[in-house]
Amino acid sequence: MLDVRAGDVGKLELLFDRHHRALFRYFLHLTSNRAVSEDLVQEVFFRILKYRHTYQPGTRFCAWMFQVGRNVHMDHAVRHKAEVAMPERNWDVRSAEMPPDRQAQSRQEAALLRRALAAMPPEKREVLIMSRFLDLKYEEIASVLKCETGAVKVRVYRALRELSDRFFALCGERAS
Amino acid sequence: MICERVREQIPECLAGRLDHAARERLVAHLETCPACRAELAELNAVWRGMGSLPEPDPDPAMRARFLEVLAAYQAGRASGLAGQAGGPPHRPWLARPVWQPVLALALLMLGVFLGRYVAQPRGPSPDVAQLTGQVENLRQLATLSLLQEQSPSSRLRGVTYSYQMARPDAQVEQALLYAVNHDSNVNVRLSAVDALEKYAASPQIRRALADAVPVQDSPLVQIALMDLLVQLNDKEAAPALHKLAQDAQADNQVRQHAAWAIQRMEVSQ
Repeated sequence: MLDVRAGDVGKLELLFDRHHRALFRYFLHLTSNRAVSEDLVQEVFFRILKYRHTYQPGTRFCAWMFQVGRNVHMDHAVRHKAEVAMPERNWDVRSAEMPPDRQAQSRQEAALLRRALAAMPPEKREVLIMSRFLDLKYEEIASVLKCETGAVKVRVYRALRELSDRFFALCGERAS
Repeated sequence: MICERVREQIPECLAGRLDHAARERLVAHLETCPACRAELAELNAVWRGMGSLPEPDPDPAMRARFLEVLAAYQAGRASGLAGQAGGPPHRPWLARPVWQPVLALALLMLGVFLGRYVAQPRGPSPDVAQLTGQVENLRQLATLSLLQEQSPSSRLRGVTYSYQMARPDAQVEQALLYAVNHDSNVNVRLSAVDALEKYAASPQIRRALADAVPVQDSPLVQIALMDLLVQLNDKEAAPALHKLAQDAQADNQVRQHAAWAIQRMEVSQ
């Protein structure tokens, strides 16, 4: 990133190759929409290009990129306030070797889990996505969210607790 | 109290990030606390469930679109018109507005001298002139039609095409101005601001750029507009910037930038 900041903007291609998938998944979990997520990724890298001079040397690129990503998502959310994010489809779980009945159950559970995740308040969903899907360390999440590491620890636990409540409530509804 | 502290460590434990000593303490507590054991089992089921959700990849065409934007940006920079990505402008002294009339006069005199004493008395080939005109018209057409596309990437390409136009064009000027004020995509608006630098000699455009600052909903676009106004040293924009600097409703960074812009304009008086 230091090279990009210094004007060698072609190096951004390397950073794009390295990080665009994680960023895409982050947006996909937040918006449940592939096309929107792809547009938001493009927007993040365009902002990185345009505002590269604001990158502080010594900052981890990943954390800075997700900070830009959060802002881009917030702008998007403000512009599309009235739209309710709905999962586009129930992606198949990774279960190629399971027997058919177990596969069906896993698919059902995955659909419920995805529904529970989509129904979470955005700020709680976000810490879970960063912690579970993006595999960011608490220190990195703290840097993105601009808060203390201890606060991240509490937020992740509470978010997971809430997701669990929502998921098992949905399982209960389905069973009854 | 102990249970609460222990439970907050469960996600770290499930992610395998808990250090050895903390993990030992957690295990020791679980051995004596059935409620925390139940909590761990429940959260573990959800944590694992999340892990089994697939991680879809983006469309490979996305990379191609990004490279296209990057190439267009580099081309724009190379031609010196790509804008103010590096923050407040740092221009070579010859490119500063104050030197431009002097430079223009010098070039005019050089042109007259070369025309009178050096150049051969032959006009441009009519075919070449016609072809140049056609290419220019096509560029105008491409710019205008791309700026009306649904996809933000296409509209960005439209803005990029406008850089390649040899002569300023009134229709393109209006289309870029419309993009600054009404485009739904912030990147398109930002690029259109940069592209309008070429048209900034017109007082109407300067006025329109100054008018756009307070009504923009994106702080980034507001800052880009202010940078351009500072670069143009457009003193007529100062009252609007003063108002913005004191507007308690405005974004904090925008207010600070407006104050900075006023200061810069005053310094260069």
